[in-house]
Amino acid sequence: MDKNTLSLFQLCDSNFPTGAFSHSYGLESYIQADQVHDQTTFSKWLHVYVNEQLVHSDGLASRLVFDALQDGKLDQVWKLDRMLTVQNLPRETREGTQKMGDRMLNLVGSLYDVPVLLLYRDRIKKKQCFGHPAIVFTMIGHHLGVSQSTTILYYLYSVISSLVQNAVRAIPLGQTAGQKVIQGFQDVLLEAVDKILGLNEEDFGIISPGLELSQMQHERVNIRIFMS
Amino acid sequence: MKDWTGILRLEAEERNGKTVAKNVYFQGAYKVMRPVYHDHSGQVCYYILNPGGGYLDGDRYQMKIALNEQARLTLTTQSATKIYRTPKQPAYQETEIILKKGSYLEYITDPLIGYKDARYQQKTVVKMEKGATFLYSDIITSGWSPDGEQFSYDLLQLISEIYMDDELVVYDHIKLNPANHHMASLGYMEGFSHLGSMIVVGEQVNADLLDQLYHAVHEDKGDYKIGLSLLPVSGLIVRVLANSTQTIEKIHTTCHHMISRELFNTIPSFLRKY
Repeated sequence: MDKNTLSLFQLCDSNFPTGAFSHSYGLESYIQADQVHDQTTFSKWLHVYVNEQLVHSDGLASRLVFDALQDGKLDQVWKLDRMLTVQNLPRETREGTQKMGDRMLNLVGSLYDVPVLLLYRDRIKKKQCFGHPAIVFTMIGHHLGVSQSTTILYYLYSVISSLVQNAVRAIPLGQTAGQKVIQGFQDVLLEAVDKILGLNEEDFGIISPGLELSQMQHERVNIRIFMS
Repeated sequence: MKDWTGILRLEAEERNGKTVAKNVYFQGAYKVMRPVYHDHSGQVCYYILNPGGGYLDGDRYQMKIALNEQARLTLTTQSATKIYRTPKQPAYQETEIILKKGSYLEYITDPLIGYKDARYQQKTVVKMEKGATFLYSDIITSGWSPDGEQFSYDLLQLISEIYMDDELVVYDHIKLNPANHHMASLGYMEGFSHLGSMIVVGEQVNADLLDQLYHAVHEDKGDYKIGLSLLPVSGLIVRVLANSTQTIEKIHTTCHHMISRELFNTIPSFLRKY
């Protein structure tokens, strides 16, 4: 692993303080309905979340943002920031993601001196942009000279490692079970990256009906440990 | 690519408290019936007909609806939209809706039924001015096949884009292709056969209205699953998973009534169909 990849790896740590530990993206709705209650059912949920939702939203956006940064087409980046936000129809998930994007941007802004980060922050302040962690992450990956596919892969990894930690706390699962899920998902993530690289722009934002519904239902969950 | 199977243009405006068509044009396999005034509100209702009875291989439909300031229109289909098998080209429908300030469109579509081996793509673009109100609903069924098998269609894809003063504010993308999915699985259709959506965009929509709707329609029996949320713009969405068209229609009707009362102090008319 070279220095730049190691630098990007810092952002994948589930302890990297973006607030990911307080978002379950609808998982908590399934836990409360007892549809997710152990390692097997959690893996099933995570599978659908990665392959149906993440791939078509954050994953594809990361790829397109990387291309746009490569070509110096910033308008394209800002357009994707809007697309990511307005395709996310469950309010809690949308607002939570936006908050995470904002926190992540502030944090990496203290670690890296990159003009595009400042520009992004400025646009958010002026309400011209919303803020999204996939875009911030991709900006850093691109800045560090990490390849597109590795940037996407690491982003997906950062998402699932946080979700696994959340599942360990909420279901609850043993720490070993959690690590087994992460290990089992290494191939799944590699395949997801291949899938993302093969998608068309027109595949952006395809929803998974049940997942989306559970994210909306979370607004009405009474006793909760997560904000989404 | 300009050979349309059916074209429909409808521009309506408000004249002395009554909404009237300024321009109606249809051609090919699209037709609208004569306007109906269900009550004395001045709101006009148009029924869209598909004389062919369904969408065939490679059919392409285009609809453009425009409402001038203060115009109020109900637009609905006459019966379910059936998509027959499409061996060569998917059937396609594109709709453009322009809503000027103060106008109101309720676009209530009948269920979509994909037959065995059918492919269908639909793109709806709504361009609103601030102060306009838009209400839309649809129902996607598990389709039809001779042996009663569910989800025997190949593709149903519905994309809706809503712009407010030229800015994209809602993007909804549903793409169901049963060959690539285990439809019944957790996170997908979860054992249900029908998917219903209702989207409302308008300045007066707020969290109070969402709460009212939630209390009126949240599930207590478990024969359907429902999610409601506020949109990125002033507006809301209701998504339902259920096992029949009737279940979703009932929920949509309840929501439609509450929304009409809250926003306009009116009661929607019963839409008579064959």
